[in-house]
Amino acid sequence: MKKNIFLVLGFLVFSLVAFSQAKKPTIMVVPSDNWCNQNGFMMEFDNQGTKMKIPNYKQAFQENADLKLVITTIGNMMAERGFPLKLMEQAIKTLESNSAEDAMMSSKDSGMGASESPIDKLKAVAKADIIIGMSWTVNQNGPEKSVTFILEGIDAYTDKQIAGATGTGPSSFSATLAVLLEEAVLAHIDNFNALLMTHFEDLFANGREVIVRIKKWDDWYEDLETEYGDDEEELGVLIEDWMADNTVQGRFNTTDATENMMLFEQVRIPLYYERNGKQRAMDTRRFAKNLSKYLKDEFEIISKVTTKGLGRATIYLGGK
Amino acid sequence: MNITNIFKAGSIVLLAFLSFTFNANAQRGKKKADKETVAWRYELEAVATGVSGTYQVKVWSYSRNVETAMEQAKKNAVHGIIFKGFPDKGDVKGQKPIATNPNIDEQNKDFFEEFFKTGGGDYMKFVTLANNGQIAPQDRIKISKKEYKIGIVVSVNKSELRKYLEKAGIVRGLSDGF
Repeated sequence: MKKNIFLVLGFLVFSLVAFSQAKKPTIMVVPSDNWCNQNGFMMEFDNQGTKMKIPNYKQAFQENADLKLVITTIGNMMAERGFPLKLMEQAIKTLESNSAEDAMMSSKDSGMGASESPIDKLKAVAKADIIIGMSWTVNQNGPEKSVTFILEGIDAYTDKQIAGATGTGPSSFSATLAVLLEEAVLAHIDNFNALLMTHFEDLFANGREVIVRIKKWDDWYEDLETEYGDDEEELGVLIEDWMADNTVQGRFNTTDATENMMLFEQVRIPLYYERNGKQRAMDTRRFAKNLSKYLKDEFEIISKVTTKGLGRATIYLGGK
Repeated sequence: MNITNIFKAGSIVLLAFLSFTFNANAQRGKKKADKETVAWRYELEAVATGVSGTYQVKVWSYSRNVETAMEQAKKNAVHGIIFKGFPDKGDVKGQKPIATNPNIDEQNKDFFEEFFKTGGGDYMKFVTLANNGQIAPQDRIKISKKEYKIGIVVSVNKSELRKYLEKAGIVRGLSDGF
């Protein structure tokens, strides 16, 4: 009997711990566009008459050994802090193999392939919640060499810089570039992590910052200025009221609003929500689904929710 | 009792007295130095970045004698890495403090008293004297009749120190809460 009580208590404690964890952001180190351009890892394409240059990451990883060294050194330091990096090189390989696999896959019964919409294709890129953009330049002064190193942490969904570290390391006559780069990472990563920590502390205190967009389908005859409810309030205002009631301390910013769209930035969503008596981690998708449900329950508006990672959601009004 | 015996007994008493005075002075010196650590009376200067998570810093401590300054340098270095950080010096990058909340020393008074206990506190695990504790002549500055400002280079393992503080629940780990 006693044993059972202990087992139940143990399970309860485990459940509380397990279900009260916020979703952990993924971190990926990406060489900056500037570094790729300086080192010749760019590809050019014709975008409807305009020549565009985009980084060729695959070539950069295959041809530059120093890049691998820097990413591995950063990866070691981040793993030590409980944040193993998502490796861009591997993510690119996985995407390629997934794509090949999907192309070959067919249903046993009907022989049909896996469905993929154009948006699914567009979304199939290597991504992470926090991007560490990294670049370095070698400064040559006669026989002396030094390295200027830049690390910037970007929240991929709010496009805000949340951490950064820059500086020029000591000059050396004899040290190889690899040694100078390793030194640069070791000198900067702690300060970078200190800023990342400040960002996480803010997140735990004030909620996760996300972006929510509201759009309407072309064929929906209503819009965000249509009046709903007993008070005949405009739909846009009703949505704003819902945001005020459901964000942490009512924090959000209506950046743009027309009859067809609304853009909410700096939306602070809580880290947890309760479902079936258990605490679960909240993400933007769940938050947007709650708004979608409210619109359906209160005003019979059907909507579709799409998300981009942990931090960006779009609700399309007027159908799925 | 002849004169020789009186002289012998007197010498023993004198020796005992001198040793007591010396000990008491040393203790007083250490206590004073401890008080100055807590009152932030020391300065850290970047010297070099070592292997993963280790930093060499020069600690400027204030003391009446060199021995106390050497012991205090280790304590001040660890204290500084936790609470103060240190600025850039030339090409060497400075570091931010481990503690993001400046009040953690007040909130965890008992822990830090034990951690920085003279002669056996856990702070000793994370710091070593560089150059066998040798002090360069220009790093020994007499600032008053009784006091020196002494610069000693030490090496602090910030990475291990942070892990220790995270494990003890004093500071928050980067992945805590996720």
